[in-house]
Amino acid sequence: MEGDISSQPGKILVVDDEPDVERLMRQRMRREIRSNQYEFIFAGNGIEALAKLQEHKDVHMVLSDINMPEMDGLTLLDEIPSVAPNVRSVIVSAYGDMKNIRTAMNRGAFDFVTKPIDFDDLRITIQRTLETIELWRSALESRDKLVVLENELSLANQMQQSILPKSFPATDSYQVFASMKAARDVGGDFYDMIFLENGRIGLAVADVSGKGIPAAMFMMSSRTLLRGAAIGHSNPAEILGEVNSLLCENNDTAMFVTLFFGIFDPVTGELVYANGGHNPPVIVGADGASGLLPTTDGVALGISPGFDFGESSIELAAGEMAVIYSDGVTEAENRAGEQFELDRLYDVFTGVPKRDARTTTVDVIAAVDAFADGNPQFDDITCLTLRRC
Amino acid sequence: MMNVKTERMGDVLSADVEGRIDGSNVVQFEEAVRAVIENSDRAVIMNFEKLVYISSAGLRAILLTAKSLQKQDAKLLLCSLSDRIREVFEISGFDKILPIHATKDDALASLES
Repeated sequence: MEGDISSQPGKILVVDDEPDVERLMRQRMRREIRSNQYEFIFAGNGIEALAKLQEHKDVHMVLSDINMPEMDGLTLLDEIPSVAPNVRSVIVSAYGDMKNIRTAMNRGAFDFVTKPIDFDDLRITIQRTLETIELWRSALESRDKLVVLENELSLANQMQQSILPKSFPATDSYQVFASMKAARDVGGDFYDMIFLENGRIGLAVADVSGKGIPAAMFMMSSRTLLRGAAIGHSNPAEILGEVNSLLCENNDTAMFVTLFFGIFDPVTGELVYANGGHNPPVIVGADGASGLLPTTDGVALGISPGFDFGESSIELAAGEMAVIYSDGVTEAENRAGEQFELDRLYDVFTGVPKRDARTTTVDVIAAVDAFADGNPQFDDITCLTLRRC
Repeated sequence: MMNVKTERMGDVLSADVEGRIDGSNVVQFEEAVRAVIENSDRAVIMNFEKLVYISSAGLRAILLTAKSLQKQDAKLLLCSLSDRIREVFEISGFDKILPIHATKDDALASLES
């Protein structure tokens, strides 16, 4: 059920006052242009961009610089919805310019890329943006035809899958690998990796309450807010505090998300973390012995405004792993009604040292599968493994 | 799988919840509780002694009940949680948001003070 965007090219309006950008984009994206995957049009500032959007009603996404004469990118973001409500915008900003990135996100930007542009990253960002737009468009078209609930659940599942990173870092100093196995009709797990300054990496595993489109929307906001906050603050407790406050605003439906967030520094091996009501991760030693990561003061995000989150840190030794998971793992049930529980999770690691992050994650999910033995899966099963090499 | 037995003690409603609250019955749970709450109630005590499982959808239903009670200046109190249910409340941090008492009598006593 992937959105079909191969039939017509994704039309992208690039807004930048730098005259070289058009040439650079056409050159670096020549393969995609030739294969009719993307079509680019260009504008030199916000005013020109709005005129182009009026003229080209088939534009899918806008890729805009922030600082431009006449009308800047942030003002443009405010104007786009009235001209082209279905267009999604991606902002190009200077690396580390958190203030503008936060502002752009608050004004409805879908994502951002940083300068100097990494074109591989840009391709992924464009693809993801176009896929999401296609999902929305197909949902809008089919909403009258299909059974509403089924439709919503499938769209929600696709939204959920679309925000999960699919490629993982594996360097000489650390590896990350994550996987999410969605339940058929409930669930709202997601995981995320956020690359930060000085080689540090933010790692998140989260579980949104509720189901369907509202939960999927809440998941999207949680992820976007987390990404924004992770760039704006350096410690996990403050990051969760900010995400929590923003999620609490106008949350009449009492949705919430449990979220574990840690920042790993590959140089020192230190994992600094805060926990918003999520299951405490498991730390696995190089010898395969396991224990729980010490808990910190926390509450699920979205329900307790102004909560002051605790924070702690642990240093991972070479070969040690942090296994961050959702309750879909420990609460998976077999036919006898028994739950998987923590002890069986520990068993996965016992006596089998020196596994890489990928094998560990795959083994955890396989062990839960084997335990459930065909019993229906009631909740999403997510596992993210961080291993220091 | 889920059963709610309610008993009225003046303007305090006591609800004994049995079985599981999860995505499959959370709507029935919410409706069962909402149907018996009166506008004049000042507290609802949920007795979780026989509750064996609660999912995040169930936690949300509890929270929604607490919120709607708040609008009428009433409180939601929980009591008699098994170790497993207590753990769910502790991990999610819900024990910091909702008052939890060891027994129904303790919950009632807290209303007197």
